[in-house]
Amino acid sequence: MSRLQKAAWFNLGMSTIFVIISIPGLYFLARVNAKGVEYLLTCFIVVCVITPVFYVFYRKKSFEAGFDEREKMINKRAFTCSVVGLTIFLGCVCLIPFFVLGGQNVIKVFYLPLIFISALFAAQFIQSAAILIQCLLEEEDGQ
Amino acid sequence: MGSNRLSNNLRRLRFDNGQITQRQLADRVGVTRQTIIAIESGKYAPSLPLAFRIAQTFEVSIETVFQYENEDS
Repeated sequence: MSRLQKAAWFNLGMSTIFVIISIPGLYFLARVNAKGVEYLLTCFIVVCVITPVFYVFYRKKSFEAGFDEREKMINKRAFTCSVVGLTIFLGCVCLIPFFVLGGQNVIKVFYLPLIFISALFAAQFIQSAAILIQCLLEEEDGQ
Repeated sequence: MGSNRLSNNLRRLRFDNGQITQRQLADRVGVTRQTIIAIESGKYAPSLPLAFRIAQTFEVSIETVFQYENEDS
């Protein structure tokens, strides 16, 4: 397994951990209706959530320094896939409620950070999957 | 419109030069073994600097390693 594939698996794992940590935290904040001073609690949870994300980006940067030109090209293609996927994801997430509920309806504020976290995860998932699929296709004829 | 193809003699050159492995060649030119595999199988066309580095490793001209085939010509 190449460094690129290891990096893709690592990012996939870290983004999954990010979602696993942040969704229950967010659900808890929504239940207690955190606002005002309670943001201190929010900040604590955000730090707990953001730290692994920084770790992901830090590791990614250090990994990229060791990538060769083919791996950088694969990464670039995967990034393009992730941007397209993210656009489609956000389009669906924003437009489906609009068409289903109608323009004059309301949704809970709780859904906004949920959409944000889901979008981050979707982008990372698509990028990692695109890297792994490209590597798999290239290695089919490998030895 | 014709198709273009970049073929190579990488495998033959490796065996003609002391049977060096894909890993050894990759280390010498500064890429991963997967990249050498991709180049050998014709799935990846290397950049010009990498192509020169590979040719220099075998001490041959770049045309000896890579051949450009254009079906139009």
